Amino acid sequence: MNKNLVAVAAIIVFLAFFIPLASSSPDGLERVVETFEVTKQTPLWNGMMSDYTIAVLGDSYVSTLLAGVVGTFIVLMAGTLLGRALSPKKTKIIN
Amino acid sequence: MHIPDGLIATSQPASITLAIGMWIVSIAFLAWSWKKAKNTYSRSITALLAITSAFVFAAQMINFPIAFGTSGHLVGGTFLAVLLGPYAAMLSMTIVLLMQAFFFADGGILAFGMNVFNMAVIGGLSFFLIKLFTKDQTSSYKRFIPSVFAASWLSVMLGALLAALEVSPAFAGGVMVTVPSMLFYHAMIGLGEGAITALLISSIQRMQPAIMGGLTLLKGRTKL
Repeated sequence: MNKNLVAVAAIIVFLAFFIPLASSSPDGLERVVETFEVTKQTPLWNGMMSDYTIAVLGDSYVSTLLAGVVGTFIVLMAGTLLGRALSPKKTKIIN
Repeated sequence: MHIPDGLIATSQPASITLAIGMWIVSIAFLAWSWKKAKNTYSRSITALLAITSAFVFAAQMINFPIAFGTSGHLVGGTFLAVLLGPYAAMLSMTIVLLMQAFFFADGGILAFGMNVFNMAVIGGLSFFLIKLFTKDQTSSYKRFIPSVFAASWLSVMLGALLAALEVSPAFAGGVMVTVPSMLFYHAMIGLGEGAITALLISSIQRMQPAIMGGLTLLKGRTKL
């Protein structure tokens, strides 16, 4: 089996395994913002899958996993374009 | 440490100037890294770049608990820098941040220049920290993984320090509150970053030495 496909599958398995274990506590910056009670401005843009969930599926495991998988593929595609742009032209792609 | 637009006080000139300034600085770094990265590789890096970027995206979704009801996640800048070199790492992290900001509203649009600098530029530049720490060629193999750990920790601390300065106009107490508190939490988050990065790199070194063999970082320095 293609090594690259194995790597992509491994990323999805990684997400499926770790999403339920992930901490929902605020991160370092969010904690600092909460501690000092900063009033946040209204954001300019709310994204399409804000908080890594698919809106219609609510805030569930499936919703987060699906958002993660979609994001993984989006980054894979963008990364492929960037990689191609940076790689030398006349060599075969090494897997 | 993704800065949301909510922390850019659009009513304050200092805050908005800083945001625009960081956009300009980051674009300059990205243009430089693009130029450098284009002439670096003798073979295709497409698969490696796409997969490592996707992994960093996925890993950033998983927060690990630290202490005091606070969490952190892998940033992955040093991880990318080791595998891709400093220049491609900056660009790779930038696409991760761009997709996060655009699709997931994780990190702001106004704050994008700040986030690119704090995570992508600093992360990429951490490559040179590893180089500095492993300068003594005879011991560089032994020092490699500890250097990766140290560079990862420092990259998080430096990113957090910059983030603390950048968001300070939104805080009544300014830098006097943001700097110590950001560094306090990120000193711990950085340990996670260092441990995860060191573990990943040493595993790749063992399981896929071919990837590591082509690294500019270790070329002529160590035998794997």
